[in-house]
Amino acid sequence: MPELTYREAVRDALAHALRQDESVFVMGEDIAEMGGSMAVTQGLLEEFGPQRIRNTPISEMAIVGSGIGAAIQGMRPVVEIMYEDFLTLSMEQLVNQAAKHRTMSGGQVKVPLTIRTQGGAGWSPGAQHAQQLEAWFVHVPGLKVVFPSTPEDVRGLLWSSIYDDNPVVFFEHRTLYPIKGEVPAELVPIPLGKARIHREGEDVTVVATGRLVHEALQAAEAAESEGISVEVVDPRTLLPLDEETILGSVRKTTRCVTAHEAVVRGGFGSELAAVIQHGAFDWLDAPIERVGAKFAPLPFAPAMEQWVVPHAADVLEAIRRTVARS
Amino acid sequence: MATVEEKAEPGKKGVSNEVLRGFFREMLLIRRFEEKVEERFRAGELPGFLHVAIGQEAVATGVCSALALEDVFASTHRAHGHAIAKGTPVEKIMAELYGKAEGCSGGYGGSMHLYDLKVGNLGANAVVAGGLPAIVGAALAFQMRGEKRVAVAFFGDGATNTGTFHESLNLAQLWKVPAIFVLENNGWAESTPAEQQLPLPVEELGKRAAAFGMKLIEADGQDVEAVYLAALAARDHALAGKGPVLLHVRTFRLTGHYVGDPQVYRDRDALKQERKTKDPLTLLGARLELSDDDFAAIDAEVTAEVEASVEFAKAGTDPKPEDALKYVYA
Amino acid sequence: MASEVKLPRLGQGMESGTIVRWLKAEGEEVSKGDPLYELDTDKVTQEVEAETTGVLLKIVIADGEVEVGTTVGVIGAQDEDVSELLLTAQGGNGGSPEREVVEATAEKTPAQPESVEIAASVEASSSGRVKASPLARRMARERGVDMAALKGTGPDGRIIAEDVEDAAAHDAVADMPAAPAQPPSSEVEVVELTSTRRTIARRLTEAWEAPVFQLSVTADASELVATRERLVELMREGETKPTVNDVLTRVVASALVRHRPVNAHFVDGKIMRHTGANVGIAVAAPSGLVVPVIHDADRKTVQQIATARADLVARARDGKLRLPDLEGGTFTISNLGMYGMEQFVAVLNPPQVAILAVGSIEDRPAARDGQLVIAPTMTMTLSCDHRAIDGSEGAEFLRTVKAFVESPALAL
Repeated sequence: MPELTYREAVRDALAHALRQDESVFVMGEDIAEMGGSMAVTQGLLEEFGPQRIRNTPISEMAIVGSGIGAAIQGMRPVVEIMYEDFLTLSMEQLVNQAAKHRTMSGGQVKVPLTIRTQGGAGWSPGAQHAQQLEAWFVHVPGLKVVFPSTPEDVRGLLWSSIYDDNPVVFFEHRTLYPIKGEVPAELVPIPLGKARIHREGEDVTVVATGRLVHEALQAAEAAESEGISVEVVDPRTLLPLDEETILGSVRKTTRCVTAHEAVVRGGFGSELAAVIQHGAFDWLDAPIERVGAKFAPLPFAPAMEQWVVPHAADVLEAIRRTVARS
Repeated sequence: MATVEEKAEPGKKGVSNEVLRGFFREMLLIRRFEEKVEERFRAGELPGFLHVAIGQEAVATGVCSALALEDVFASTHRAHGHAIAKGTPVEKIMAELYGKAEGCSGGYGGSMHLYDLKVGNLGANAVVAGGLPAIVGAALAFQMRGEKRVAVAFFGDGATNTGTFHESLNLAQLWKVPAIFVLENNGWAESTPAEQQLPLPVEELGKRAAAFGMKLIEADGQDVEAVYLAALAARDHALAGKGPVLLHVRTFRLTGHYVGDPQVYRDRDALKQERKTKDPLTLLGARLELSDDDFAAIDAEVTAEVEASVEFAKAGTDPKPEDALKYVYA
Repeated sequence: MASEVKLPRLGQGMESGTIVRWLKAEGEEVSKGDPLYELDTDKVTQEVEAETTGVLLKIVIADGEVEVGTTVGVIGAQDEDVSELLLTAQGGNGGSPEREVVEATAEKTPAQPESVEIAASVEASSSGRVKASPLARRMARERGVDMAALKGTGPDGRIIAEDVEDAAAHDAVADMPAAPAQPPSSEVEVVELTSTRRTIARRLTEAWEAPVFQLSVTADASELVATRERLVELMREGETKPTVNDVLTRVVASALVRHRPVNAHFVDGKIMRHTGANVGIAVAAPSGLVVPVIHDADRKTVQQIATARADLVARARDGKLRLPDLEGGTFTISNLGMYGMEQFVAVLNPPQVAILAVGSIEDRPAARDGQLVIAPTMTMTLSCDHRAIDGSEGAEFLRTVKAFVESPALAL
């Protein structure tokens, strides 16, 4: 199977959609000549021209809002928000408008808009360029939230997000852009709302997203040598959530750890833990552990930054806590 | 860069009396609708918030009459007039206010979320300036697809203070999309008068267009003919690919911000004076030299239509509670 | 001044006790030091004395399992109003909802009312909760295990699934119910094979009533296997091929005659020891489990045992066993090794006083002459009826069995 980096996989999905469908266009800050601050859209301007690969001013509200307007008129805009921290500037349009048009209109309106963004810690971006805010959007009826962790997943899911008729907030992770992974020779759409089991195990289920999928897999290796068999599940789509796969896994292993880079308190792991305790209550042999960042704005100094965000070691510790004896 | 101000002068262009009589009827329909809505609200029959546009009928009729069926618009929380003027049957609007399934938004939206895609109504918005960016997007879509359509945003003077307003006009002008931004300047942002929220004199609010290099067209909002001609000019400008237009109309809100608003913040005498001299219906009626009989005849017609709409609404179906989940996702 | 009578902690590690009965009635006068009620703890039943003098105004909990510290009664002055005290007492105890929960769950699972009741009352009381995982609670409910009696090995002493499983395994009815075996007397109870299941159920219950203990031993099976292979080499034309189990049967029979207390029946309060070893072999027949007997196994050669065994098993599978096949057993061997079961506990086959459960032969690390080797090992678990056999007797027998398994020659 061919290999693509995560970044190339995003670009590939965009290029495929742009090629086959005139209604798809991309807009965002610095995405045209510069090819995007994360170099994701490099090369697209040359192939598709400035009408369809549009640089915008620094106007997150207007960028997202005009994406909404164009989507309502039947186009499939893909809006790039440079850092997910800046989603905050477009929240009014995302939450009050995009998410609600269909319901408020009694079903007359569809908003097939895709908002791509990226975030995460690493290399000291500082507190305002490193957040993980996916949990906020899971809380808004009318939105869909996707957070892939591998090249294959990001390509297949971005395609499906573009062709989903609902507003999708699509999270990428900055440290994942360079990772390589096998992808099918042809783009294979991956349906929203289906989890992926990366590794099977018997003793503990780790439900991880984004960068922490990879940390979890490392932790699972280490746990194996300690005699703990770990199953790693990546929901991939946070909203709608594949409860069936996740509950099935926890009912098998009877123990669960949730893992994400976002802050623990109120993070997506909290929603997972609630869903799991409710759906698998009689199968739980230990409390559910949540792994995530410590509760602080991300500091600049590398030593502090590394300490605040979770790593494989934290996942391993949580795994150990679920199987611990006195 | 020069921004030309055009003031549409009444009588200077050819709007026949027949057309004006049509305008009158529609404006009176809007007026009677709004009055009926106030009455029914006070009787406790209408849930939620209500904001009526009594005094601003000429803007709704003037602008919407200049638009084609395929043009789209987004409105504000004070949307009944625009919705009626763009062509949604009065009974569907009344039914929506009563929260019935027969309402134009299926009972899902209410007064502040009237939608009717068939006639290009992209929705009223409860967030001040909330509808502007989507209008930029709609105009962008028309431009990209080469369609001869305009997208119109209605908003008030209070909205010109928001970031959304600035970002939207900025982007629209940058990309020269076929959008018309109709600034219904009634001098009040809820209870806050112009002096407390606008750094420019209220009459000069149109100057904000200059900040974006955008074409400004102004008209007297109480003169329906002037508004109509101005809207036509704006539409032509936009469709010619010359870019968006800020259509600034000075108008008067002759009631409170919302139905039931005691307007403690307003000068009683000033309001009385405005009601006497600024009522667009009175002004147009005088211009057309309508006799009392003429007026009564038209009034009887539109009143009957409004009352029928109330009957229609009251006889409507209540949505099933579980229908709340029906349209969350496409 | 009224005072609450709270369940005392009478020993280190005591979390709860069971009130058996009150020795004073409501309204009766009580002096400090008088026996107030009988309390059953893990170790012993004892009388609990009153700590104050007065009138026993209220018995809050009449009987049943109670956590240490729970208010079980109130002593005060005659006609004293203790309603407020009772309210706080019941609040502390978790109050009347406790009883409702107990009734509801008792209705739902009539087969195991006692343990469900106990589990429910333990869960409902708000002070001194039993810490257990949701999974463990469900398993305890399903298997009728009394969680209050368990020691949890999870973090903070929480009871986890494994703890319940272990407990259930000890108490459990193993899935090897015995078919009827007849006492070797002139009174013969004829049991129709068609009612096998009903009978198994009845006998299960009988076995449940015996105070059983288990002893386990793991033996190096290399010699056992080697012996069998030699016997197979020495086989003659037309003879039945002996199995490792046949060799085992032979050595167990030898052990039985050397430890006659284990080769016995417990009937009508009497122990009846037998001279010869009639070893029953548990067989899975279409109609259910049956235990045909190899009579005088201690005086048969392995080859003869093999022949008898093969014949019995074949007829058992065809449903053609006769009464003499099933009569006279003095001991039973149950082997689930062919299913890969490493170790299990078999249910007694009354009136036999012992039964041996044999697990699979697995290659495991073993120490030999101070060296670590991989050897085929086999775990055997002996269930004994404590009314007839003590631990030492069972252990001596099992030690002999192990020795014989590891050196079959010793069994000659």
